Amino acid sequence: MTRIRRDWVGKTSAGAILGFSLAIALAGLFAWLSPGRLATPNKFQLVMWLIAPIWLTTLSLCFLFSSGMRAWLWLGAANLAAYAGLFACRRFLL
Amino acid sequence: MRSDVVRLYKAVHTWTGITAGMFLFIAFYAGAITVFAEPLARWAATPALTQLTPLAQSDELIARTLAARPDAAKEFTLHLGETEDLWARLTWRKGRDDRTPWSADLSPGGELRLAQSYHSSLADFVDNIHQTAGIPGANDIGVTIMGVVSAVYAVALVSGLIIVLPSLIKDFFALRIGPNLKRMWLDAHNVVGVVSLPFHIVIALTAVVFCLHEQLYDALDYVVYDGQLKSIIAASNPFTAIKKDERPAPMLPVDALLDRVKATSPSFVPVEMRYRNAGTRGASVQIWGHDARYMMRGRGFVVLSPVTGEIANTDYLPGREGTWTGVVATLFALHFATFGGDVVRVCYFLLGIAGAFLFYSGNLLWIESRRRTERRNGGPVDQKMSTRLMSAATVGVCLGVICAISITIVAAKWLNGRVANVDAWDNGVYYSLFLASVLWSFVRGAAAASIELLWLAALATAAIPLTTLTGWTLPALGMHPSASLAALGVDFVALGAALSFVWMARSVARRAKYGPVDSVWAAPQRKLREAT
Repeated sequence: MTRIRRDWVGKTSAGAILGFSLAIALAGLFAWLSPGRLATPNKFQLVMWLIAPIWLTTLSLCFLFSSGMRAWLWLGAANLAAYAGLFACRRFLL
Repeated sequence: MRSDVVRLYKAVHTWTGITAGMFLFIAFYAGAITVFAEPLARWAATPALTQLTPLAQSDELIARTLAARPDAAKEFTLHLGETEDLWARLTWRKGRDDRTPWSADLSPGGELRLAQSYHSSLADFVDNIHQTAGIPGANDIGVTIMGVVSAVYAVALVSGLIIVLPSLIKDFFALRIGPNLKRMWLDAHNVVGVVSLPFHIVIALTAVVFCLHEQLYDALDYVVYDGQLKSIIAASNPFTAIKKDERPAPMLPVDALLDRVKATSPSFVPVEMRYRNAGTRGASVQIWGHDARYMMRGRGFVVLSPVTGEIANTDYLPGREGTWTGVVATLFALHFATFGGDVVRVCYFLLGIAGAFLFYSGNLLWIESRRRTERRNGGPVDQKMSTRLMSAATVGVCLGVICAISITIVAAKWLNGRVANVDAWDNGVYYSLFLASVLWSFVRGAAAASIELLWLAALATAAIPLTTLTGWTLPALGMHPSASLAALGVDFVALGAALSFVWMARSVARRAKYGPVDSVWAAPQRKLREAT
């Protein structure tokens, strides 16, 4: 088992920044893929509500990564996948 | 759980807790009081000196007001309740922050009485302290800071859970009261934290949304909605079904409109009717109220056309929301305690106070774990500067906000009707007392200030029921204390709180006198005595 590094700046920034962008993208995917897509009245409220739990769960748990570098890499990859999905929705569902 | 993970999260918990702790103490203490905003408003109100116009005459009142004051037609409110915080049956104001609304009533002789008077809301003042932790400046600065604080608080919750998990079974039912004070405080902190964890998770997440929703919407609009969010929000507006039309049209009587609402939702209890563009074909009436059978977004409402009587929108009517507003209403209800009636409100009040205790005890643990202990025959020790400053700040801020809120409540009642601008006075009283307490705590040191400020808190809080008592025994003062059960409830809770502050002041004094000398809580003169 590798020793877990502290890397306060690396991990906190990964959780705060990449966690936030990931939350926006996942909330966006929910907006696209749930019934009625983007324009359904009143759905935007729930979409906005989804951001906080995703963002803060990521931020809270990102200290479990063994290093700051790994936190940036994994969360970066998750972001890439989520934004690719968002881009695909925009491209093919519009 | 690996021990290095636990150690890492202990550091996360310590630093998130110590940064957010005092802001959260203020927000939770003021928030617990805000759960009972309505009784507080009724306690502080000067009951109307004359009877409100009977509800049966509402239609006549509306017609005659509009005839006398056509400018009221744009937007006015008909109040359906009979509680003492209502000063007129019909009111209208110029804009949301207008503190000098107009009001209209019919005298028993049948003449229309119009008046404009200053009205402030003590309950809103306490709510504002809850939302901003009393951070001054434009309201959104404090709110934004509290949004960040709430995010930090969420991290503190998860990290706290991670560090108690390994010993949860062993420690959960243990409250080791004994000579090891740090152990006892830690047990108390853990048990309160674990028992109220679901409440805290809900509050942290909802608070982040309430404080930062504008920024979150901006980000969503930019990334997901491609700048279209404004038009989607406009399309979701509950008034869209009623088109603007300025041709004059007669309106249905109030009773007929309320019957339509009753037919739509029998358990909905209307409390006020907000008319817009009254007397035209494009008129709307937004009927606000509550429904004990559902999770409510604060208060619910339904929109009708007062001309045709048709229901225009039920997106915010409890039990009749659509899927999307329904889920969001549930999340609102979980923060505002607007479900389940008084039982849930009492629980939220107690959970709020328990939350304040959680943050206070967290700071105590921070101080206690940095304590320099006295070695046998080693002579007196000086505590570190950091723990002395932190203990003074904790005492000054936490007890300061308790004193300041109690005194502001009392002052609002005494000043009501005696000064022109009660809001300015509320602010002045609150901030001068709060800052004086913090200053006092740093000047006197935590040990002495904690005793003195607790006595001040006891006196200030006891002044709430004493104000009611004075108002009754000396009617010449014109205080008109309310005798409703809701207002009396405020007096009784304040009395109970004052007694518990007395108990705390006495135990803190005992600790200063007889507790360990090598502590920030020992009376300073004892250390001197021991040194000489």
